[in-house]
Amino acid sequence: MGAFGHYLLAHAVTLKHEFWQLFVGGVANGLLYGMIAVGYTLVYGVLRLINFAHSEIFMTGGFAGYFVLRAFVGSGAPPAGLASIGLIFIGILAGGTAGAVMATVLERVAYRPLRRRNAPKLAYLISAIGASYFLFNLAGKEFGHLPVSTPQPYINHTVFHVFGAPVQMFFVIIFIVGLIMFVGLDRLISKSRLGRGIRAVAQDAETASLMGVNIDRTIAITFIVGGALGGAAGFLFAMGYGVVYTMGFVPALKAFTAAVLGGIGNLRGAMIGGLILGIFESLSVVVVQAAYIDVVAFGILVLVLLVRPTGILGERLGRAA
Amino acid sequence: MKLRLNKTVAAVAASALLLMAVPAIGIASTSGAAGKPTYVIGYEGPLSGGNLQLGLNMVFAVELAINQANATGKLPFKLQVAKYDDQGDPTISPTQAQSAVANKKLIAVVGPAFSGATAAAEPYYSAAHVATVSPSATRVTLASSKWGNFFRVVADDGVQGPADADYLVKTKGFKSVYVVDDGSAYGAGLATAFAAQAKTDGATVTTATVPGTAQCSNGTGSATQYTAAATQAKASGAKSLFYGGYYCDLGLFLGALSSAGYTGTVMSGDGSDSPALIKATTPASAAEGVLLSCACATSTNSKFNKAFLALANFPAPTATYAGEAYDATNVIIAAMKSLKKVTRAGVVAALHKITYKGTTKTIKFQKDGNISGSAIYVNQVKSGIVVQLGLE
Repeated sequence: MGAFGHYLLAHAVTLKHEFWQLFVGGVANGLLYGMIAVGYTLVYGVLRLINFAHSEIFMTGGFAGYFVLRAFVGSGAPPAGLASIGLIFIGILAGGTAGAVMATVLERVAYRPLRRRNAPKLAYLISAIGASYFLFNLAGKEFGHLPVSTPQPYINHTVFHVFGAPVQMFFVIIFIVGLIMFVGLDRLISKSRLGRGIRAVAQDAETASLMGVNIDRTIAITFIVGGALGGAAGFLFAMGYGVVYTMGFVPALKAFTAAVLGGIGNLRGAMIGGLILGIFESLSVVVVQAAYIDVVAFGILVLVLLVRPTGILGERLGRAA
Repeated sequence: MKLRLNKTVAAVAASALLLMAVPAIGIASTSGAAGKPTYVIGYEGPLSGGNLQLGLNMVFAVELAINQANATGKLPFKLQVAKYDDQGDPTISPTQAQSAVANKKLIAVVGPAFSGATAAAEPYYSAAHVATVSPSATRVTLASSKWGNFFRVVADDGVQGPADADYLVKTKGFKSVYVVDDGSAYGAGLATAFAAQAKTDGATVTTATVPGTAQCSNGTGSATQYTAAATQAKASGAKSLFYGGYYCDLGLFLGALSSAGYTGTVMSGDGSDSPALIKATTPASAAEGVLLSCACATSTNSKFNKAFLALANFPAPTATYAGEAYDATNVIIAAMKSLKKVTRAGVVAALHKITYKGTTKTIKFQKDGNISGSAIYVNQVKSGIVVQLGLE
């Protein structure tokens, strides 16, 4: 007991020193995961489909953002001040638009034909996986297999300190963008007419259509919204970590885990699941080696599902919020 | 009606088969008429994925050597190159090795490039008595596995790791080092060798494993893991950091380190020694000052440099291991020349005896396949370019 207590104490001391810096990093990662998770959860809500090609929507947003930044910044020095804000805004717009377009194309090509034919759920799954493979290999062929770093639209510096932990510009951008997107999306789903339509389709598609909701249009818009957020997350990821054709795989897998953790189909669950996953992943580095972060992440998922199979906030398909 | 259709189908199928056989017969007879037999030298390495630059450096050198050998016209055979892309991945490498071995004309292989891939593929090459001359697989245990057909033209990590530790601790004077490896056969091996020597030299050593990322085709990690890993590195208080791994992941790590506010000196081994490191770092300024060691020399042979640039469209001095791959190919060709009858096993035996003067060094192999004698060079990233500082 003495040795174990010593071990815990040593780690507690380390944790105290690094806690806030790890926490800040975890929140930033968590927001990224949450933004991608929203796409999974919304589509699952209305279609009962896990859109495995969402990782490629994320990648498309990343590449769109990369090309936009390469066009505006090129290999010159990173700009500062208002120019930075403008460029980041343009980048998010580009990423979000590209993601939304790709999501629409996916919906039309990979899923709508199956809906017309009343295909079994398995067919959607196979179609999604096939679309994912096709898209990232196409990206690999078109853009090459070498990873490239994105020209920076700002100079990364410490903006402020949180209990001694430096918070970099990159994280601040993620915080602001993430917050705006989550709050905006939450309002959209819970307060707007469109949101009511999405929730109605999620609850009972047939009855919703009898009540006058245009199913096809609602599903299309759901894909667009999820795709826009996923694409914007792709741009943010590209800004910090560069782009490569396989960039979608792991972040999307983590995001899917986050969506299930928070309750698949539940919008707020996706956001909170993302944050929890990001924070716990980051903090677990104190106790286990970085090599075992994934073990911790998926271990948490298993534990939560054992206790609460519908996820933390529950699977409230009828109320996507 | 059905019976007649079946007969028709059978007739069509038979004639199709005959038609397919005719060209094959035709080709066989023409090559017989040409006289010189054609042999294939294979190259196995990463030709796609996150580390493809290292593969490209080598495969162009192999092609150059083969083109030049064919151009002399003095060889009693013609040579071709066959490329086997293993992405540097030990799970893909065995399939590629079997593919190479199944190629009846293949005599020897330059590669595999990566240590993990070599360890996975050697049993197949060894069973088929195909000589593998690696320009870059530096893991120590590769030579002690008694395969008999394994050769390498560079010093192993048993030399590179300790030489790096001596350089960082004794020459540069850092008393504390944070050693990170990417979990790969190469990275972990190099980091372990480094850490052991650094401890002997009296430095405080902290070790950590941060797995390679999926986007770099190096493992299953996520790029987002580096935020936490960088925080750990900074919190350790170490004034220097040694990374055992490849340039793609080091690039991501450097970006995270600069974000976390880490100000120490970073050093890495030959897996990161490439201008592609700077391209893979976001922002590129985070790569400034990084020290990179390599058992490979920056090529100063102008004839080779000119020919390489013409073929590859990028300069030879930036191409890590191009010179070594060129020498590996040429030593295989020299071994083939020395034989009356060129066979796979014959080439293995000849390589054990040969002494060949290459562009990078004189090549003579020890009994276990290691190169005899070598030195480690250190380079540094200055203003976005990798500059050779000299011998360690």
